[in-house]
Amino acid sequence: MVQFENGTNFFINDNVDVLIVILQRLDGGSLGVAACVCKLWCSITRNDSLWEHLCFRHVSPPPEGVRTVVLALGGYQRLYMVCVKPVLDRLRKWKKGTGFDESEVMRRVWMQHEVELSLSLFCVDYYERVFLGGGGGGGGASLMFLCNAVNV
Amino acid sequence: MKRDRDREREKKSFNGGVSNGGSSGKGKIWEEDEEETPDAGMDELLAVLGYKVKSSDMADVAQKLEQLEMAMGTTMEDGITHLSTDTVHKNPSDMAGWVQSMLSSISTNFDMCNQENELVLSGCGSSSSIIDFSRNEQNHLTTTISDDDLRAIPGGAVFNSDSNKRQRSSSSFSTSMLTDSSAARPVVLVDSQETGVRLVHTLMACAEAVQQENLTLADQLVRHIGILAVSQSGAMRKVATYFAEALARRIYKIYPQDSIESSYTDVLQMHFYETCPYLKFAHFTANQAILEAFTGCNKVHVIDFSLKQGMQWPALMQALALRPGGPPAFRLTGIGPPQPDNTDALQQVGWKLAQLAETIGVEFEFRGFVANSLADLDATILDIRPSETEAVAINSVFELHRLLSRPGAIEKVLNSIKQINPKIVTLVEQEANHNAGVFIDRFNEALHYYSTMFDSLESSGSSSSASPTGILPQPPVNNQDLVMSEVYLGRQICNVVACEGSDRVERHETLNQWRVRMNSSGFDPVHLGSNAFKQASMLLALFAGGDGYRVEENDGCLMLGWHTRPLIATSAWKLLPDSGTGAGEVEL
Repeated sequence: MVQFENGTNFFINDNVDVLIVILQRLDGGSLGVAACVCKLWCSITRNDSLWEHLCFRHVSPPPEGVRTVVLALGGYQRLYMVCVKPVLDRLRKWKKGTGFDESEVMRRVWMQHEVELSLSLFCVDYYERVFLGGGGGGGGASLMFLCNAVNV
Repeated sequence: MKRDRDREREKKSFNGGVSNGGSSGKGKIWEEDEEETPDAGMDELLAVLGYKVKSSDMADVAQKLEQLEMAMGTTMEDGITHLSTDTVHKNPSDMAGWVQSMLSSISTNFDMCNQENELVLSGCGSSSSIIDFSRNEQNHLTTTISDDDLRAIPGGAVFNSDSNKRQRSSSSFSTSMLTDSSAARPVVLVDSQETGVRLVHTLMACAEAVQQENLTLADQLVRHIGILAVSQSGAMRKVATYFAEALARRIYKIYPQDSIESSYTDVLQMHFYETCPYLKFAHFTANQAILEAFTGCNKVHVIDFSLKQGMQWPALMQALALRPGGPPAFRLTGIGPPQPDNTDALQQVGWKLAQLAETIGVEFEFRGFVANSLADLDATILDIRPSETEAVAINSVFELHRLLSRPGAIEKVLNSIKQINPKIVTLVEQEANHNAGVFIDRFNEALHYYSTMFDSLESSGSSSSASPTGILPQPPVNNQDLVMSEVYLGRQICNVVACEGSDRVERHETLNQWRVRMNSSGFDPVHLGSNAFKQASMLLALFAGGDGYRVEENDGCLMLGWHTRPLIATSAWKLLPDSGTGAGEVEL
């Protein structure tokens, strides 16, 4: 709660739109932590549009028609956790290693490719999970390689 | 335990040897020792135990003890540890002599085995008669098989006197054994790198023996391989074991049945798909080529020469669903072998893909064709619609090489492809020549290829344990996948080495060989663009152990390899405008 000078109180939980704007700027880990604060925050962070924003905030323009596909395949939160985050993490390390061109255009092109790759892997994951009985745990087995730390 | 005592003695001997003379060392290190020195110059600590060793000899004795311990350690499974307890010590007070007598008894034990023409170090087994090889000029063989075994092994592995890899003098020790007496056999395998080299040489010698139809020698060598393989670890051991099994099958003529449950092969391939990136690479690069060929088409038809579980198609359907302008109508024809239990596996896969297509909003149609061989099909059966309305792509992943086992089959299939008049043909094959006419060439090529494959599997399997990445729980690395992938490769090895004629279906050929074949049949290469290359590079960067994998571009084709060795190659082809029976191609 914030107390203003004129004596009115500001409860963040009463201003959900402000909360959402703030949450949109967080990364995946922080969103996970935010989900543990209270029931309201939990329900907001589970809203897929937050995760959609997270997945595509660096890609411009965001790919069209993606939403129906992603929602059908399991939602943005799952896409982020299972595909986008590991892909971005691994490739960030790899790109540092290969000393690659950091110009803006190149970066956007690579982002686009990364998104496409993530989407393809996500689709494969869905297929495996739903139709082939999947691997152990929560993830499709073919994405197991994303679970392991990279031997850098 | 005897070995602990040895180690203790060794430690003491080192301590004793470091300081000059026993008496001065004693005071500094072992305060509680109060024994008198019986003789001047003798190490008193060992003298307590009843061994008379001069201090000046201590270093030497310690070294011998070390080597002995290594020898006993590495050959433990071969059952010579009994020597440490059973050997008769001629003079217990002579430590150096005791060690020497143990070591020479190992070799004489082996000698006795040799006289019985047995290579098993444990000394058991039946004896067989000595076979006269004097008529075989090439290897300059003598009458005993033991000589044959070891001299047949080319290269310096056996009489190598300049191995310098290990700090310890173990290698020089083994060579001193070699040069010592003509009767002693160099069997104390103290240097595993040397045994690795020996293993490879023995494998090649065995293959050579098989090539020359010298089956008895080959039989002995195969057993020797088994012994040597045990001393290795990791990839080399597995490769050697699979090749030894395949050679044994060839020698004893126990051929594996080729058409064992194809569903079992599918399961194995699924594990292979999950463990390493080769199949994923194949699928993604082929999909990229197909996607680019299908730009602007509203109806597309893909013919998959080996549908299996249909793992390639979800990614393509997703890419089609998200392409600008919306997805086309997607038709898939899957071809597969007959199932032994008469279930319609193809229809099941088609059903799953149809459900996926509905989920992501792609119009989908599926047909399955069961065929023993691709040559049984032709364009009329496959229900090809006119090319003005529908664009066709043909996809073959690790399938076309099987046609080379029957004469005329590949030409028939290529002709059928031309009749179909596809927009693009994507071909993924192993990058190796396992189809040479001479057995020994095939064998050597296969040995190198599968060694590299197993190396890459080893690195991907042994990569670090799972690290949690957020909400979803991450299961640990699945070793069962790794084992099943190795079984999958092992079956290929068995087929390449043990089978012949129409049974030998794993007739891999190199990219250049396929190029020649496709070019002469009237196909033109299609360059896989930079998108495919980038996607493949990114995919590999995601894999643990990904720094070992290499994507190479080879004149428009992409090759995936492990370090410097390419292992699979993807290429794309289209028909030349004036060949085939269809109307002219619409160039994009």
